[in-house]
Formats: sequence, structure tokens, C-alpha cells
Amino acid sequence: MDWAETLILLSPQLILVVWALLVLGLDLLVTKAKDSLAYLALAGLAPALGAAVYLLLQRTGQSLLSGMVQVDAYSLYFTVIACLASGLVILASMEYMKARTRYRGEFYGLLLLATLAMTLMAASTNLIMIYLSIEFMSLTSYVLVGYFRDDPKSSEGGLKYFLFGAVTSSLMLYGMSLMYGATGTTDLAEIATNLAAMHATMPPMRWLILPAILFMLAGFSFKMALVPFHQWSPDAYEGAPTPVATLLSVGPKAMGFSILLRVLITAVPLFQFDWVAILMGISLVTMTLGNLTAMRQTNIKRMLAYSSIAQAGYVLVGLVSLVPSSIGIQGVLLYLMAYLFTNAGAFIAVIAFSHVTNSDEIADYAGLVRRAPALAAVMVVFFMSLAGLPPTAGFVGKLLVFGAAVQAGYYYLAIVGVVNSVISVVYYFNVVRQMFFLPPTVEGRLSLPRFPMAAVIICVVLVLLIGLYPQPLIDLVSQSVTLLAVIP
Amino acid sequence: MENLVTLVPLIPIVPLLTFAIIVVFTRRNNKLSSYLAVAAIFISFLISMVIVFNAVAGMPHFAEEPAVHLTLLRIPTGATTLDIGVQIDPLTVALLFMVPTVCLMIFIYSIGYMEGDPRYSRFFAYICLFATGMLGLVVADNLLLLFISWEVMGLCSYLLIGFWFEKPEAMWAGLKAFITTRIGDVLLMLGMVILYSQTGALRFETVFEGVEHLAQTNPNLMFITALLVFGGAVGKSAQFPLHVWLPDAMEGPTPVSALIHAATMVAAGVFLVARMMPIFVVLAGMPALAWVAAIGAITAFFASTIAIAQDDIKRVLAYSTISQLGYMIMCLGIGGFVAAVFHLITHAFFKALLFLGSGSVIHGVGTNDMMEMGGLRKKMPYTFWTFLVGMLALAGVPPLAGFWSKDEILAIAFVQNPVVWVMGTLAAFVTAFYMTRQVCLTFAGEPRNEDIHAHESPPVMYVPLIVLAVGAALLGLLGVPADFPVLGPLLGNNPFHHFLAQQFHHWDYVHLPHVGFNASVMLISVVMALAGIGLGYLIYGRKPLGAGQRDPLERMGVIWTLLRNKYYIDEIYRATIIRAAIGVADLFLSFDQGIIDGIVNLIGKLTERWSWVSGLFDTYVIDGIVNGVGRVTSAVGQELRYIQTGRVQNYMIMVVISLLLLVGVFLYM
Repeated sequence: MDWAETLILLSPQLILVVWALLVLGLDLLVTKAKDSLAYLALAGLAPALGAAVYLLLQRTGQSLLSGMVQVDAYSLYFTVIACLASGLVILASMEYMKARTRYRGEFYGLLLLATLAMTLMAASTNLIMIYLSIEFMSLTSYVLVGYFRDDPKSSEGGLKYFLFGAVTSSLMLYGMSLMYGATGTTDLAEIATNLAAMHATMPPMRWLILPAILFMLAGFSFKMALVPFHQWSPDAYEGAPTPVATLLSVGPKAMGFSILLRVLITAVPLFQFDWVAILMGISLVTMTLGNLTAMRQTNIKRMLAYSSIAQAGYVLVGLVSLVPSSIGIQGVLLYLMAYLFTNAGAFIAVIAFSHVTNSDEIADYAGLVRRAPALAAVMVVFFMSLAGLPPTAGFVGKLLVFGAAVQAGYYYLAIVGVVNSVISVVYYFNVVRQMFFLPPTVEGRLSLPRFPMAAVIICVVLVLLIGLYPQPLIDLVSQSVTLLAVIP
Repeated sequence: MENLVTLVPLIPIVPLLTFAIIVVFTRRNNKLSSYLAVAAIFISFLISMVIVFNAVAGMPHFAEEPAVHLTLLRIPTGATTLDIGVQIDPLTVALLFMVPTVCLMIFIYSIGYMEGDPRYSRFFAYICLFATGMLGLVVADNLLLLFISWEVMGLCSYLLIGFWFEKPEAMWAGLKAFITTRIGDVLLMLGMVILYSQTGALRFETVFEGVEHLAQTNPNLMFITALLVFGGAVGKSAQFPLHVWLPDAMEGPTPVSALIHAATMVAAGVFLVARMMPIFVVLAGMPALAWVAAIGAITAFFASTIAIAQDDIKRVLAYSTISQLGYMIMCLGIGGFVAAVFHLITHAFFKALLFLGSGSVIHGVGTNDMMEMGGLRKKMPYTFWTFLVGMLALAGVPPLAGFWSKDEILAIAFVQNPVVWVMGTLAAFVTAFYMTRQVCLTFAGEPRNEDIHAHESPPVMYVPLIVLAVGAALLGLLGVPADFPVLGPLLGNNPFHHFLAQQFHHWDYVHLPHVGFNASVMLISVVMALAGIGLGYLIYGRKPLGAGQRDPLERMGVIWTLLRNKYYIDEIYRATIIRAAIGVADLFLSFDQGIIDGIVNLIGKLTERWSWVSGLFDTYVIDGIVNGVGRVTSAVGQELRYIQTGRVQNYMIMVVISLLLLVGVFLYM
């Protein structure tokens, strides 16, 4: 393993580091044309994304930096998700940030740093690295959520997010220390071998490993906003700049799943029976609670926050159905990609709307079809995808994860999932009802901002594309999960 | 015995559960809470007695195997495991006899003493937790559980000494106890860490095996480790120079003083040294042990002299406790393991008796000041007679318990180290003197304060006194030297010694001296005790002090002042250590204000200059700083305002509760 090869394999991360620092540095010099920094940030994401896609198609798989990170199809898949999410968010932020704050140069720098943190989360294979990357991600997110420091809601959201994150992070660290204490290593693969060796000699260690898993799970679940570690998310989403809420709902959430899968499957396959049970419970509660609470919301950002909690519950259905075939895990990966475009699309549509109307109230969406027909139309697509109706990406994702649940014999899980999807139709289509069947309270066409609309178009195209022709993506995810090595 | 050991964990667990039950459920019902607490300690007491009788009956057992174990938890630590469990060995058995018995009496007594206190239930919850700490410490078979229990006790002492936290003295006393003992705790923890890293174990037996090797390879480290462990005992058992917290601990309710001084807290330090005896004797020449002896002897003598000049009835007893603990530590320091434990047990009985007796007095007269008392003999007969038994036992008058145990210590000291013997004998004389002074000032003569109308305490308070008095009178007979004429063989050839001497049978390097009965030493100590009592009677008893009369000892002049002010040790600490700590804090503050702020200001200035020179960023930077400060301040205010609404706390509580629920569910699934 020579240095050149290491550098190439880590090129997405390296590009992001350099570009983030560049943007931050230029922010001090560029005083007038702050928006050029957004273009610059986009220009940095493109090569990072390109490098990740290139490496992904190369089918590489290599452990780097003394086992701290691993660059393989699995981590690269999530790297691609991270770069895409970040790109969409930058597009969505341009007009939005311009209208709201003078200090937006470092916003883009922070976004790039958040992207870097996400790619590191995806690649970590050591508890120390996992902890560091999660903290890195969290710290940048706290700042981003509380970015409008003059806005009490934003500050409140940031502070709540921070306090909540600090608690769960300490719980996670405690779990990691238990794991290290029990096995004497922080390397995921070595943990598995040591546990297997100890299992033969010292059977009664379940009571130590299980708390370790559960405590770590608390930290990961915080990132994924799984019940009962979800309470921060509605407040943070509502208070945060909406582009940041977009990022939080798709980026760190996906990365949380990537780490969760990696840790559970690589390090503690021995305790699969236990953690499957735990996650199954969490999945049921998360879907149901998320959906039921979403129904009661009048603010569309809070509704989407609860809906994205529920979505994480569906993803867990795929995760727990990992036997007898890898279709469940494939479903997780595909679902996350589909969810990226769907949820980001929905959020960005909300950004576009609130940019011109300054409102996030669902009631204000009344008659939108007459004021902005295109926006209303794409929102229908996103809501269909969120509810899992064909022919959208969300349908393919749900098909895979629920199919895996049936295959694994978890019928009730699939049934609860489907029932939940039906419930979710109610509140998604409540918005659709507002947009199409109610008269507008205010007349006049809306002139929508350009860049967010571009992002929305990209999303809607991809949502439909994946929904109509999912085969390439399915091939990609099946290749990615085989490299996760331990999948049966 | 193997079956019985499964009962042992219940001894600390029952009071712990009761603590939880009182805190969570019965807190509002005072009566129920107190009965629950007494019932809990009674259950612990019963279990302990079952264990004690079986262990004594099955005596030869310990000669073959050092202890009976029950492992509760096995924590895998990579290649090895860390076992946490309980054990029964002679030392544990000895303390299991004493601790629950004395605790039970104190608990019952508290029902009466705490009557009418607004935080009645809370008091019983705390003392349950306190008992848990001590009982856990006694039954632990490893340093980790011992240390946890040790810290639980530290916490409880803080809570209980500062129980009446409306009084600033009580609050400060609690804090002082907590911080002072913490110094010892840190030392103990360091010692523990070294032992773990060197022997790879925390279980006593494994540690004792491992230190033999350590003593050969690294004697210096072994020496330091032993001293560190001893440091823990110095803090907890209030030995010089960390004794300052104990007299102030009198601010707590009197049952707490009894608990701390007799059965629990301070006994823990002596117990620790006794328990860890092998690590002190493993080095050739036993240098660590010499330190133990020196500290103990100094404390024994110097604390007893302070007690002479105190007027607070509880303070006299506090210094007496320090002095008696010095005896025990000193005795351990000259290898008298059995004698030290024997004294620990007899002392627990008569010191609990004296404290509860003084509590009864305070209950009756409403003041701590002995100068206000006098003439209580007729008004409080039960209290007087039991107190007298305790006083005679402490003074070492034959045949009460304190006589036998103290004499055994002095007999060993006479053979092992004459200097220690002289110090101990002098202390015995002084002890007899100040106890006589106390009894005379309190009970003899006529009341010095006409406003005080004393009354005898209710039976719930004096019945425990009687039980303890019986113990204080008779317990010593268990340890009559085997070669004492007539009595020795009659009482079974010193059964206590016989039983406890098996403790370190299994470690060849532990050679503890065995010293028989010595008639001349015994005679000298009896003469000393009687001389002390006689002198006390001459000064205070023959012509009891009238109202407004000054203490005759004030004629000693400088010495009186010195003793009265406890050798000015508190003042010395305040002038040196505490001031130094505050000085360092001030230094950091001025560093912060002078240098850090200076740097910040300098940068600010430079920026200002530079911006002035460039003339471009003028408005941005300076206005920015000014506005920014205002904005940040108001933003922080806003944020804090939102935090105050309290929802975030609920979120977090929910997180922790649900996580613990998950852990619980899955561990028992």
C-alpha cells in the first residue's frame, strides 16, 4: 500500500478538506460577492462526487490508516449520498441565505465540513474513528442549526440539539468504553474475533456486551432520530435554517444507518439475535409514533420532521430482515438513496415556497396549484414517494424492505409497516388537498427562486427515474453490500 | 457455610432497597418510613447473626481456606475477568457481629430522637444508605466493591452531617467532612490503581498473592502503595493530620454522630488497614507499618489531650473517638491485628452508647454545652447509669469491655515498641481524666442553668442505651487473655483471639506477633485509669462546679488555651493550605484577567490599529465587535430563557430512562 494509492482512495475526503478550508479562507477576503462562494463550494463538491463515483465503479475495497477507515463500495455508496445531499442543499440555500443573513460565506464552508464528516462516518471501521467522526458531524451541525443567531428559534434549536447530542454522545462513549473494556480493542473486526474467542471460554458476558451495544445505539439513534432519541429533531428542524434541516434529515440520518450497519454486522454478529429484537421494537415504535404525531402538525417543517422520523422506522424494517438473504440490507441502501431525493426534494420545495411567502404553515399552501402549478405538481410526486406509491423511488424502497421482512418471516412487521404507510398517506395528502382543492387565500402567481427549483427538478427526475427503472441502482447496492463482507 | 454465603449479599441489599422504597414511595409517611428502616436493618441483623453463629461453630473451616466466596459479577476485561463478589472470613464475621447490632440500636433510638423533624423520612432513607455502605464494605471480597461502599458512605456522611442544612455550621461541616475525607479517598484510589496494575486483580486474596512478587521486584513501589492505602484510612478514620473533619461532624443529628463514630464511617478506615494487613507487612522490615504505628500513637495521645478542654458534650466524645481510633491504628502498626479489631468492636459498643447517651442529654436539656448542665443524675437516671457504664468502659476500668481490649493493645505495645506503649499509657490516663470530667460536669452537683428543665428521654431512646450498656460491660469477656488466671480458661481460652487469628493463616509472609498476658502492664494500666478517674474526681467531682464558676483547669494558662483551641490546627490549615488554594485560584483569575484578557485586548487593539491604517474595515470590525457583543449577549439571554422552559431536561430524562429500560428488558429477557 503506497502513499499514492492511499491518497487516491481518500481523494473525496481530501478534496473536501482542501475545498472547505479554501472557502473558509476566501470568506475573509471576499467581502462583496459572497454568493460566489456557493458556486465555489459546488465546484468543490463536483470533483469529490466524481472521485467517489469513479472509485465506486472501480470496485475497490481497502483498509486504510492502520484500520481506522475502510474505503470500499459500501463506504463509497454513502460518500456519494453525502455529496449529493450536500450539493442539493447548497443549491437550495443560495437565495434563501442571501435573503436572511449577511454572513453566509462560512455557511458553505461549514456545509463542506459537514460533508467531510459524513464521508468519514461512512468509512470508519474503528470505534475511535466512529466516535470522532460522529462528533465532527455533530459539532458542525450544532453550528449550522443555530446559524441565525439573532433568531431565537434558531438559537433554541441549536442549543437543544447540542444539549441532547452531548448527552447521547456521552452515553455512546460509555458504551464504547464498555465494549473496549470487554474486548480490549476498538477495531470492529477484532472486536468480533475477540468476542467469538471469549464466547467459547466465558459465556456469561451477555450482560456486559448488551448494555455496550445499547449505549452505543443511543448515540447512533440520536443521529438517525429513532424513537426514543428523536425529541430533538422537530425543534431543531423547525428552528434551523430550512436547508440545514434538509441536510439533517437526509445526510446524517443515512450516515447513522451506515455506521449502525457496519458496527452491528462487523463487530457484534454474535449478538444478532438480541440486536435484531431491539431494533425491531425501535422500528415499530418509530414508524408508528412518527406517523401519528405527523398527523397533528400544522407546520409543514414539523410535519416533515415527524415524517422523516417515521421513514427511519421503515429503513429499520429492512435492517432487521437481514436473514436469510441480503435483500433487506440492499433495501436499506436503496431506500436511503430514494429517500435522499424524495425528502430533500420535499424540503427544498418547502424552501422555495417559504422564500416567497415567508410561511411554513400548511394552511398557507391552499390553492397552490393556481399560484405555482409546477411546484404543486412536483410536491405531489414527492409526497407519493414518501408514502411509497408507485411509480416513484419510495415505492421501490418500501417494496424491498417490506419484501425482505416477509422473506425473513417478520409478517407482523411488514403489516405494521404497510398500515403505517397508509396512515402516512392521510397527512401527506392533506397537503395535496390543500394545494389542489382549496381556494387560495392570497391571489397572484408566485415567482419561485431559481436555484432551489433547479434542485427540485433534479430530485423529481431522479425520484421518477428510480421508480420507473430501478435496475441499475439495485445492481449497485447489491454490489455494495457484498463488500460489507459478513453478509450471508 | 457455602450455602449460607448466598445470603450475604442480602445484608447490604436489604437496606439499599429500603432506601429506594422510602425515597420513592413512603417518603410522605414518616411513621412507615422509620419502621421500614428499622425492619430493614433488623433483617440485615438477623442474617448477620445466622452467618456469625455458623462461622463460629464451623471454626476449623477458615484454617483450611482463607474465605468463603460468592462471585456476583464477572466482568470480562479482554484476556482476564474482574470478579466482584462477597466473602466470609474471620474479619468479616467479627464486623458482621458488631455493625448490624450497633446500627439496629441507633436506628431504634432515632425513632425517638428525630421525632418532629420536618425531614424525618429522609433521615431514615439516608441512614439506610449509610448502613448499606458500611455493610457492603464489610462483606466485599475485592477492592472495587470496598471502594464503592467507601464512597457511598462518604456521600452519606456529607448528606447527614449537613442534614440540618439551614444551619450554616452544619452545611460547612458536611462540606468539610466530604472534602477532607476526599483527600484520603484519592490516595486510596491511587493505591488501588497501583495494586490492580501490578497484580492484575482487585480481589483481596489474589492481591495478597501478587504483592509478594511485587515486594521482591519493586520494594519502593510496594512501600508507596501501602502508604497510599493507609492514606485512605487516615482520611476516613480521622487520623492526624486529616482529623479536623470529625469534631465538626458533631453538627449532624446525634444518631448520625453515633453512626459515624461507632459503627460505620470511622471504623471503615481501621477496617481497611486490618483488611489489607498483608500489604503492610510484606516488605522486609515493614517500613510502612512503622508509619502506621507513628501516626496512630501521635493521634491517640494528642487527640485525648484536646478532649480535656472542650465544653461541648459531643466534641469531647469526638476527640475521644479520634484518640481511640489512634489506638487501633497504632495497634495495627505494631502488628496487633486481633487486638485492634477487638478494640474496634468493643469501642463501637461503648462509643455508640456514649453518643446516644449524650444525645439523650441534649434531648433533655436542649443544649450541647456542659457548662449549662449539671445535676442531671436524678433527672435522667437511665441515661446517667448507662452513660456511666460507657464512661468506665472507655476509661478502661476492669472488668468492662474497654479494659480488656485496651489492655491487650498496651501489652503488645510493651513488647513491640516501648515508645508507643508510653504514649498509649499516657493517653489512657488522660482518657480516664476527661471522661470523669465529662460525667461530673454533666450529671453531678446541681443544675447550673435554672432555665433548663431536664426530663428523661422516652423508652424508645433509653432501651437501646441499656442494650448497648450490656454489650459495653460484657463483650470484653470474649477476649480475656487465655493465660489470665482463672478467668482465661473459664471463658474458653480467649475465643475471640482464637477465631480471628486464623485470618492470615494462608500467607506465609504475614507473621503477626502473639503476646500473652502481662501482669505488670495490666497493673500499670489499671493504676493509670484509676489515677485519671481519681484526679478527675478531685477536681470536678468532690466539689461540683456551681453556676457561673469557671473551669478549674483554666489555671493551666497557655496550655489550656492551646488545648482549648485544638492546637490551632484548623487555623494553621486555614492560614496555609486553604489560603494557598485560594491564592492559586486568585493567581489563575489574575492570569485570566491580566494575561488572557490582555492578549485579547492586545489583539483587539492591533486589529483596531490595522483597520485604522487600512481604513477599509473600519466600520466592519469596530462596529462589528460592539454590535456583536451586544447581539451575542442578548442571544445568549434568549437561549437561556428558552432552556428554562424545561423541556430539554425532560427529553434527556426520557432518553436515559428509556435506555435503562431497554437495558433492563434485554438483560432479563
